[in-house]
Amino acid sequence: MSVEELNPAAVPVPVEDVQGDGRWMSQHNRFVQECKDAEPEVLFVGDSMVQLMQQYEVWRELFSPLHALNFGIAGDTTCNVLWRLQNGELQNIRPKVVVVWVGTNNHEHTAEQVAGGIMAIVQLLMSQLPQAKVVVLGLLPRGERQNPLREKNAVVNGILRSSLARLGAAQFLDVGAGFVHSDGTISTRDMFDFLHLTSSGYWAVAKPLSDLLLQLLEETPEERRASLV
Amino acid sequence: MSSEDSNPAAVPTPCQDVQGDGRWLSLHNRFVSNSKDKEPDVLFVGDSLVQLLHQFEVWRQLFSPLHSLNFGVGGDATQHVLWRLGNGELDHISPKVVVLWVGTNNHGHTPEQICGGILAITQLISNKLPHAYTIILGLLPRGENPNPLRTRNARVNELLQEAVTSIPQASYLSVDCSFVQSDGRISHQDMYDYLHLTPQAYQKVCRPLHAAIKRLLDKPNEN
Ligand SMILES: [Ca+2]
Repeated sequence: MSVEELNPAAVPVPVEDVQGDGRWMSQHNRFVQECKDAEPEVLFVGDSMVQLMQQYEVWRELFSPLHALNFGIAGDTTCNVLWRLQNGELQNIRPKVVVVWVGTNNHEHTAEQVAGGIMAIVQLLMSQLPQAKVVVLGLLPRGERQNPLREKNAVVNGILRSSLARLGAAQFLDVGAGFVHSDGTISTRDMFDFLHLTSSGYWAVAKPLSDLLLQLLEETPEERRASLV
Repeated sequence: MSSEDSNPAAVPTPCQDVQGDGRWLSLHNRFVSNSKDKEPDVLFVGDSLVQLLHQFEVWRQLFSPLHSLNFGVGGDATQHVLWRLGNGELDHISPKVVVLWVGTNNHGHTPEQICGGILAITQLISNKLPHAYTIILGLLPRGENPNPLRTRNARVNELLQEAVTSIPQASYLSVDCSFVQSDGRISHQDMYDYLHLTPQAYQKVCRPLHAAIKRLLDKPNEN
């Protein structure tokens, strides 16, 4: 535990309301409230990559039918997601699968720290929701051309891939293939600002994710027990 | 001029690449090169509220058919838009209508400064595009509950509305479609994060905007 405490990316921290409109806490409080009213099978947690997905058709097509809740907040780091999950966003729900997608906003942290922060979220999920399976989405490349943040995100993914392989109930899904073209550029057709996904960019990500979720939902212990009866 | 110089919201400023992936300048360069082979009749300029509009169906329904270009960049304040427009984004096009929507990201600036920044952009547009008409969209309320930024944005709108009456080639358009409910709250059904619009809220905002643009485009050319 002391190693984790030394990792600043694994320390739960709420977002400070520097702008003065309290939007971050409003969203967190709404999520906590949603936990009381909803019985999600799938929970998505993370940053804007998660949040924005809900505004596109792909969410209604692929994920709403799975009874998914979306707890994405733009700008969030691993620290902010940790804080939210420790402060009510996991209460009163028992999703079968949790999808985690966060880390590209951890600008203050090294790749090792970011991966450690994501692992801390996975461990928290596994201890709070022992029945749930966890899917960690790989960080996407970003920026129009090759740049240090792309390299960093790739290193984070490499660490996650091997660290998560050791945890039975969690798995890593790399959804970043195909975004970087042969000339090294990313297209605005996929990422409208070289970070956030367009509608068609989301389809590329969501199809393999949805396939995996369907497979995991079928494999849940409850289902298996039910089929044995 | 000296009063503008002392207004940080009216001083053209490029966004610093603090994160290190160069996205802001990539977008700007893309807008500049994109504009070379396009002949837009309508240009949208501003921040994420403009940028996200481009991602939703309403853009294809209402604005693509009018030959619109979208130069929105998330996070931009007035001084950033001022820099972009002064550095190539208006050099290769001659739209008939410019829709300007920016100011809610001007954190640390007073309503007077933000209004001054928006007017400076309007002035730059009319210098660079003397035949274009600018529609300035009012700033939206934000935050789930009443808060100082709502008050600030409302004050910016008051100032704008008054100032714009004396500019012949520009007008102010309020697009606040009763987003604040009777209990003072904004619903996440309209603003999913209490700032950015959902697709359904864009539909509400865009209908009057589309009508206003159409009226201008349909007007016989007075030039
Ligand atoms: Ca909801």
